Amino acid sequence: MFRIARVLVPLTTIGAVAVMIMLLSPHGASGDVRSASSDEYVFGRDAAIDQPVHGNVQVYFGNVIVQSVIEGDLLVYGGDVTLREPGRVTGRLIHGGGTVTGADGRVGRVYSMSSLEGATATLTTTAVVLSLLFVWLVTAVIVTMWNGREIRYSSIEIRSSALHCFALGLVALTSFLLTAVVFSYLIGIVIGIPLLAALGVFAILTKVYGMIAVFHAVGTLVAGPRTREQLAARKWLRGDIAMVVVGVLILGAIRMIPVIGPIVWGGASVFGVGVALATKFGRREPWFLAWRPAEV
Amino acid sequence: MKSECQRYLEDPEANASHPDTCVECAFFAEIGADDAPRRPIVIESLPLAPWEEAKHRPWPLILGGALAVLAIAAAVFAAAGATPMQVLRRVFPNFDLILSTVRLLGEGVEHAPAGLQIALAISFVLVNTVFYLLLRRAPKGIDV
Repeated sequence: MFRIARVLVPLTTIGAVAVMIMLLSPHGASGDVRSASSDEYVFGRDAAIDQPVHGNVQVYFGNVIVQSVIEGDLLVYGGDVTLREPGRVTGRLIHGGGTVTGADGRVGRVYSMSSLEGATATLTTTAVVLSLLFVWLVTAVIVTMWNGREIRYSSIEIRSSALHCFALGLVALTSFLLTAVVFSYLIGIVIGIPLLAALGVFAILTKVYGMIAVFHAVGTLVAGPRTREQLAARKWLRGDIAMVVVGVLILGAIRMIPVIGPIVWGGASVFGVGVALATKFGRREPWFLAWRPAEV
Repeated sequence: MKSECQRYLEDPEANASHPDTCVECAFFAEIGADDAPRRPIVIESLPLAPWEEAKHRPWPLILGGALAVLAIAAAVFAAAGATPMQVLRRVFPNFDLILSTVRLLGEGVEHAPAGLQIALAISFVLVNTVFYLLLRRAPKGIDV
């Protein structure tokens, strides 16, 4: 039993990574163009709009060339969009994970699913990242002031049980994604929207709390006092808030590095979500109560 | 501490008969803590606990760090020639767009190929089962 438990966490990590990759790139799940009333759906292959469409068009994991008029919205995920004369989109063009060519003057409005992709200038992107870093710093200080013990406990958990936190974070994020997909089936019967909103709020709170615990862990690892003499000699660099501030500044500086920064920040988010759930937001309470029959 | 007690503490086996004549040593031997109450505790020799000085609030560091980040952000905004509100409005989607995207994605999922929908259902059950099992594990970290 103990041996099984030892290999369970690494196996779970590998499994969660595999499922996450499959979810984000389901190229094997190709399908035909599917129509519902006047809407069109394309999965896993390229599409060409040669005839006018009176409805929305959605293309997943394929490129699309628009050479006619779409009287509705165009949503493209995981592919490039090319608009050619006389191609038009009267509604919105929403895209993610690809490029858009020839949209000038032919589309109502263009939106990117990737939040920072809209800010093309590198300088502007840096400014946005720095602004968000400031928001993180203020949030982290406020949360640590009120819940220092919980944050510290979660920080210790990251350092003492890192692999478990990472595995739990990966599985939790995959679960959030799959649950969101399942909830999206319910959008048609109204209840789907509040369920998705509740899931989104929970996911955001989990990430925010977890990231603050990660900041504390990073700060303690880098700048935490090792001995009582060191602690006594320090004037500012001690205490939970100081460790959190140091962690924010270190991870924020890493976040500025192109390519590596987002990867490191993403990894920290996985750890954060994992530790927030592993410690139940630092409360050390079980998520599920064990059932035992009453003793007679 | 009496010299007999000291000798007993240093070599309990050679002085095994000492607790018969000393009530104090007999008591501590009985509870299995022969030397605990009488050995002086040197706090400096103990490992540093995570909670020590944890409540300390270094305001200069907090304000300095926050102002430094804010000043750099303001300088970069000025260099980019844009106000923070302009950039944030461009970067963050409005509520209407989020709702539209969610609605479109929901419709897309409903019209996905049957194979993909079955794979999603199986993945949903498997992932949430593993999620449940991982959540059952008790945390390891200690903070007394």
